[in-house]
Amino acid sequence: MDVSIANLRKAFLSAGYITDEDVIITVFLSLKLGKPLLVEGAPGVGKTELAKVLSQVLEADLIRLQCYEGLDENKALYEWNYQRQLLKIQISKETACTEDLEQNLFSLEYLLERPLLKAIQADKQVVLLIDEVDKTDEEFEAFLFEVLSDFQVSVPELGTISARQIPVVILTSNNERELSDGLKRRCAYLYLDYPTVEREVAIIRAKIPTVGEKLSLEVARAVSLIRDSQEIKKKPSIAETLDWVRAILALDQDRLNLVVIEQTMAMLLKTKADLLSFNKNIGSGRLVEYARTEK
Amino acid sequence: MENYLEVNLVRFIHMLRYAGIRIGSGEVLDALNALSLLDLSDREAVRAGLKATLVKRSGEQQLFDKAFTLFFAPPEAKEKDYTRHRQDQTQRQQLLAKATEELTFQGMPLKLSDSEKTVYSGMPEKDKEKLLDYIKKTAEGKNIEQHFQPILESVVKSSLAYWRKSLRNQLNLSPLPQTGDQELNALLASAVRNGGDYSPALLEEDMQNIADKDLPRAEALIRKLARQMVTRLARRYRQSKKRQQLDLRKTIRHNIRFGGTLLKLRYRSRRTQKPRLVLLCDVSGSMARYANFVLQFIYGINDVVSQIESFIFSEDLERVTEYFQHGDDFTSTMLEVINRSKEWGRGTNLGAALKNLRLKYPDLLTGHSILLIVSDTKTMALDETLQELSLIKRIVKDVVLLNTLPRGDWLSSKSVRSFQGVLRMFPCNTLSDLEKVIRQKIIIY
Repeated sequence: MDVSIANLRKAFLSAGYITDEDVIITVFLSLKLGKPLLVEGAPGVGKTELAKVLSQVLEADLIRLQCYEGLDENKALYEWNYQRQLLKIQISKETACTEDLEQNLFSLEYLLERPLLKAIQADKQVVLLIDEVDKTDEEFEAFLFEVLSDFQVSVPELGTISARQIPVVILTSNNERELSDGLKRRCAYLYLDYPTVEREVAIIRAKIPTVGEKLSLEVARAVSLIRDSQEIKKKPSIAETLDWVRAILALDQDRLNLVVIEQTMAMLLKTKADLLSFNKNIGSGRLVEYARTEK
Repeated sequence: MENYLEVNLVRFIHMLRYAGIRIGSGEVLDALNALSLLDLSDREAVRAGLKATLVKRSGEQQLFDKAFTLFFAPPEAKEKDYTRHRQDQTQRQQLLAKATEELTFQGMPLKLSDSEKTVYSGMPEKDKEKLLDYIKKTAEGKNIEQHFQPILESVVKSSLAYWRKSLRNQLNLSPLPQTGDQELNALLASAVRNGGDYSPALLEEDMQNIADKDLPRAEALIRKLARQMVTRLARRYRQSKKRQQLDLRKTIRHNIRFGGTLLKLRYRSRRTQKPRLVLLCDVSGSMARYANFVLQFIYGINDVVSQIESFIFSEDLERVTEYFQHGDDFTSTMLEVINRSKEWGRGTNLGAALKNLRLKYPDLLTGHSILLIVSDTKTMALDETLQELSLIKRIVKDVVLLNTLPRGDWLSSKSVRSFQGVLRMFPCNTLSDLEKVIRQKIIIY
């Protein structure tokens, strides 16, 4: 695909990813400038989805590195296949000459590629998704931006491996921790917020075509009210909105009403504290009223 | 004009930097490259492009949008801003001149800063007269000579400091921006005037002076800081260059099935123990407002990690951990603490509080606990306090003091210097200090 704003817009739409112009322009720039794209935002606004859709749009493979605390270079970059090396030694104990054996043992055959190395070594351009980068330690982050700025890796036993093509890199962060300035400087930045009511309606209708116009609008309004509430700690994500709509449809309802809200609220709010504070601060009655008010 | 685009971009970036957004020169180049790829007549595209390359913090997104709207406003609006700025400047000069003229002592003008003079001009007429009357009476008193002026000045200053506090919600005390570029100054002034949000000051403002209207924003900020702190505290794994230690016993046992060849290795790692945080928060008269913020911070942490013991103290110690464990919202928790507390707003005696902590709660102070004290170090019985501190320091893992005195005042305070000899001390005067406490890994374990 020829990368242009119009093309991207079209491709995103046909991939079912409904989003605003800011996102498209930022993605376009990060592709054109060859910079990694750092996407921040609350959980469930579609950060990971963006990478998946992008790989679909660019017709590239998606390689995903899921970050977690304690993630280290072994798990992210490469590791020697120790077991296989050991077996090789056992098998060729008496036959092979030791020097040959040593060289053979540290060849690509025994290298376990982890996501970062895989992305660098790929023949065709890939989309590398580094998910929830804020979960790692600062040390790993520093290592990461070294890899991201040069796109080459040195393996002491093999020498330096440079990228055959520069992968499209997307980093996501839930903002649990402030990322270092160094990493940010190397990236284009995108902040994804929860969608507006109109956009959420569009998303609902795109993902669940059977939903009625009225219900989708009411649901989107209701969800926006809940998200705006300061007391709700775990705000409902887009996926949860969709689940909610499916739940309402499964109960054969085509409008929001008190009963159905009581029955299905657990699809949207998933902690006891949030459910309690919903009942205390908003309540089903107000939610229905708000959702049905024309604006 | 040559390089019109570049010049304008740089000026815009100047404006963003003034608002506290950190922008490196690499990012400026990125922005320029981005602009070359975009259709410059498409306003929204330009906005999105600049935003993607220049602004990299979630909290700065709205700030950027505001700055963009102001900077790339139609010429008429800009002209209006410019005129207003010039008017404001003239008016301000006049007010200052008037204040200088009025505030004199035996014919000599009092040495007051511009912001103090601004406070003076904002005072109600009646109180102004009272102050002038006082100065006049002092000047005409018996045996009053010229060298008496500094003493009078400090009296006037402290009176103005009082007024600054009570007027802070109405008066615009931030100095007019001085960038050397008149048009940019006008824009910045208009930015400050139009949106309280625009002032970069909130993070840097002395917590004591945060105006009531800014409280919700400050609270949101604190919640975010607390969440980051929680993430940091909750980390169980730490990366280190050291390879884990091989557990030979387990490895051999596990590999017997492979005929003794060590195919699968088993490692042993040290179990990290989470620290027990013991928080001691000063709520004496001078600290009450800070305490409000700091307790809010504790509340944010307590929400997720339950191993934090919180105490408040002034003349004596009071345990507040349980209030924060109910899971009520902050305002009601705070009300409960204040209502039930006997300590709120009294004098400070850190030594007594520490002694009580050591004697009454010995099981809280162990080799795993970190004692975090929030105080301005102004305490009675300093020597006793120091003694008590060094005693406790021998028991616990670490003692850290978050000092709410501005850093600039540390040198001149005797108590600060003596405390620094015993423990690690960090400033905690503004919200950005609080942020640094988290960033710099002050609490290590």
